Amino acid sequence: MKHDILDLAQCFFYTAADFGKEDAMPEIIAIHSFRGGTGKTNTTANLACLLARKGRRVGVVDTDIQSPGIHVLFNLDPKDAPHTLNDFLWGKCDIGRAVYDVSRILGAEDKEKLFLIPSSIRTGDIARVLHYGYDINLLKEGYQKAIEQFALDYLFIDTHPGLNEETLMSIAVADTLLILLRPDQQDYQGTAVTVEVSRQLEVPRMFLIVNKVPTAFPGDALAAKVTAAYNCDVAGVLPHADEMMALGSSGLFCLMHPNTALGRAMEDILRRITA
Amino acid sequence: MNPGAKKILLAGLAFAVVYGLLNSLSNIFLLPSAPIISMRPQIALPMVVGILVHPLAGFITGFAGNMFGDAVYGFGALKFWNWHIANGLMGWIPGLVGYGGIRRIGTVREFGILQMSLVGASAAGVAAAVVLDVFFIHLLTFPYSFPSWILPAFLTDAVNAFILVPVILLLARRIRLTLETRTILMITGLLLVSILATAGAITWAVLDDLVSHSAMVENFYIAAVVSVLLLVAGFIAAIVFVRKVTDPLADLAQAAQAVEQGNYDLPGLAGVSARADELGRLARIFEQMAGKVREREKTLQRQVDELKIIIDRKKQAQDVSEIVETEYFLALKEKARKFRET
Ligand SMILES: Nc1ncnc2c1ncn2[C@@H]1O[C@H](COP(=O)(O)OP(=O)(O)OP(=O)(O)O)[C@@H](O)[C@H]1O
Ligand SMILES: [Mg+2]
Repeated sequence: MKHDILDLAQCFFYTAADFGKEDAMPEIIAIHSFRGGTGKTNTTANLACLLARKGRRVGVVDTDIQSPGIHVLFNLDPKDAPHTLNDFLWGKCDIGRAVYDVSRILGAEDKEKLFLIPSSIRTGDIARVLHYGYDINLLKEGYQKAIEQFALDYLFIDTHPGLNEETLMSIAVADTLLILLRPDQQDYQGTAVTVEVSRQLEVPRMFLIVNKVPTAFPGDALAAKVTAAYNCDVAGVLPHADEMMALGSSGLFCLMHPNTALGRAMEDILRRITA
Repeated sequence: MNPGAKKILLAGLAFAVVYGLLNSLSNIFLLPSAPIISMRPQIALPMVVGILVHPLAGFITGFAGNMFGDAVYGFGALKFWNWHIANGLMGWIPGLVGYGGIRRIGTVREFGILQMSLVGASAAGVAAAVVLDVFFIHLLTFPYSFPSWILPAFLTDAVNAFILVPVILLLARRIRLTLETRTILMITGLLLVSILATAGAITWAVLDDLVSHSAMVENFYIAAVVSVLLLVAGFIAAIVFVRKVTDPLADLAQAAQAVEQGNYDLPGLAGVSARADELGRLARIFEQMAGKVREREKTLQRQVDELKIIIDRKKQAQDVSEIVETEYFLALKEKARKFRET
């Protein structure tokens, strides 16, 4: 009798615990832009890093197979990364072997907070994937497995610009899509196409982020304009920062200059997209 | 900070022992004018205990310390009980300043309150002792006791406290060194040096037999009264002067904060910018600067207003359909739909 009650209590306890977990479903966040150089890679790395610092377990995938780069920001030497996303896509290895703990960037003592799945920088590997392509189901399975194996709360996908087949896949697997644009006439048209195509792909949540905005530009007014033009929510307006340019992707802006307009704007974006 | 009753009692008694010993020691160094009231720098001790620990701890130090000192010196522990109460009050009253919310002294106002509390504590203590004497002890005779006992007692305690307590609080880092406190400390210091120099000169004159003892006592009274008047007048003048400088600075700081928050109307600065002096000039430059920032902000706002996001809708529809009508896209959409359902 006594045991029954204990079992019942335990049962209740577990159910309650599972309930709590429900709203913390792992989320895949893709960052994309129509044109190159909008700041996708730097924004991805910084948002991931900020979330990891808040205690979430965060993964980052470099799907910019043509021109990989985010490993540089996380200080991961390709020599120390024998397995890559490319190997997984050809069935040469399990996804788990291509996941690297890069938490050291947050602090010497940090472990198991921030993970990276890099892309190969070897030209042969690059050409091969581009030539044969890969299947979206395989990609999705890989992400799912990585999320489970490393108990990730968030998986960020850094993409190649434009609307080729690979980036369409990254958009299709995302729960949340962040589309970057600059306040630049050259970005407007392509962004409009990207937004519409993503809608057609039925992405559950989509936000625009305006990057490299002249400092002291009134952000709210700009955001209102962009929202109206694209009929899409703006997650935030990121000012241009000389410090970011000066870093030249050699480190993470959010760690070095947290109390700047750009640092605070990044925090605001996280608050909006994780709300 | 809110020490428990036990800590208050222990600290009060521990310092009372020190205070008592210092009291009996200093009975040896008598003021030339007052044969019984002695030169008492240690009066700062109960006051500081009251300020740093708790008003009641200050009271205990003053009360029990005076009793202990009298006993050690041979007066008997209870004979001058009215002075125990007087010393207790001197330890208790300054502590009320800290208890009333001034934890650290950073402005002239706070410093003024502190110094006035020291003078007030000395006055209240001596007054209490006198009143109790009149009703119960009957040792004092009027008017003779007034110049020979009461006034010297008050003067020595007040002047000693006035000098020493700020020095100790400065060492204990209870006085924050701001522009205001630095200036008032400097001016107070200068005033005190001149007063002490006068007193020193008179004392030296009598020690060297330059004047007779009775003439010296007379001089000493005049000097003491003039000194205290000078001290009070100088102190008030210093407060007025310092505030004349620092109040505009506070206005400027407030204006800077307003600009930082994007508010460029600065009515609070009108008073300062009307001044003809250096601070007025600074305020006027600041107003000009705020005006420029406002202009710049307006320009930027206009730029955003004029910014046009031009999208060719026809071309957009064309580009979109080119992508979404491919077989690849349709298959992708189907697959995405499937794994979103699961
Ligand atoms: N807010 C910003 N302020 C200043 N410089 C920025 C900002 N955001 C990005 N940059 C700079 O822009 C450059 C391109 O950034 P990044 O590589 O992140 O863009 P990308 O979109 O990933 O480029 P690609 O399309 O080539 O992958 C970098 O030199 C980066 O330092
Ligand atoms: Mg990139």
